[in-house]
Amino acid sequence: VYLLFQALRQVSQRTISTASRRQFENRVSEQQKLFQEDNGLPVHLKGGAKDSLLYRTTAGLALFGTMYTVYYLLVSSMPKKPN
Amino acid sequence: MAHQAHSYHMVDPSPWPILGAAAAFLTTSGLTMWFHHNNPYLLTVGLLSTLLVMFQWWRDIVRESTFQGHHTPTVQKGLRYGMVLFITSEAFFFLGFFWAFFHSSLAPTPELGGQWPPVGIQPLNPMEVPLLNTAILLASGVTVTWAHHSIAEARRKQAIHALTLTVLLGFYFTGLQAMEYYEAPFSIADGVYGSTFFVATGFHGLHVIIGSTFLLVCLLRLIKYHFTSGHHFGFEAAAWYWHFVDVVWLFLYISIYWWGS
Repeated sequence: VYLLFQALRQVSQRTISTASRRQFENRVSEQQKLFQEDNGLPVHLKGGAKDSLLYRTTAGLALFGTMYTVYYLLVSSMPKKPN
Repeated sequence: MAHQAHSYHMVDPSPWPILGAAAAFLTTSGLTMWFHHNNPYLLTVGLLSTLLVMFQWWRDIVRESTFQGHHTPTVQKGLRYGMVLFITSEAFFFLGFFWAFFHSSLAPTPELGGQWPPVGIQPLNPMEVPLLNTAILLASGVTVTWAHHSIAEARRKQAIHALTLTVLLGFYFTGLQAMEYYEAPFSIADGVYGSTFFVATGFHGLHVIIGSTFLLVCLLRLIKYHFTSGHHFGFEAAAWYWHFVDVVWLFLYISIYWWGS
């Protein structure tokens, strides 16, 4: 049983492949460099193209929704014409 | 390049406050559309935009602190005040629902049969799943404290284990409570008993989900090396919130589940 345990220990210590090990490395200094770059970008867009896409989607949804809601509120406040 | 002569954080212009307000507008109007016109689409857009704003706003705070270094001790002090005030406001929120419960249960009206639990109500046995849920939340309070100590002592693996356990316990509570809701012999429509039970425990359950999510985000940040042994306020805030959720449950268990049966 002890030999089995040793074998299991060796296997579990080697299971993480190089690709996934990169995911658990400390990438904070790279991100610090990216977000401290002197490019005049505000923090909500400083991460790159993904930021702009997400921002435009959010703003688009909010704008469209607000316009629709105002329209719906105006319509709801109008009296219904009796037959 | 200009440098500030103070230790405060002058934030970059941000669209999230106004978009968050718009999202709240859509969510509330969407609720109206759903209730009165059976149309859930605006509500969906509202909830979706709320989630998007929350994700991006908090993402930006992580960027400003961990990546840009704006969270000086002065800023952190302000954040601590803020979190304490927020949790206090939540305590008052729950106080209202406890008031409602005691108002109805201390002097049960003739319509209820002059008794509490009211005639016809079969309350849940407090010694079954509710007791297990109490044990789960108490245990999660221990594991989150263990996680905090591990972070402060720079023991990375232990911290990850402890925080993972905490999150799992939180989800376990939610799963069990959902099952209880499904199996309960009474509903929210069953008079004032049903109303007080499901509104109080329901809002508590929502806070458990919020707290578990907050802790999960902290776990992901912990794995990504965002926290240092001396500076990890995001985690502390999550732990405070989690303890608050635990305490509210203890009050719920003692008063509604135990005394109220």
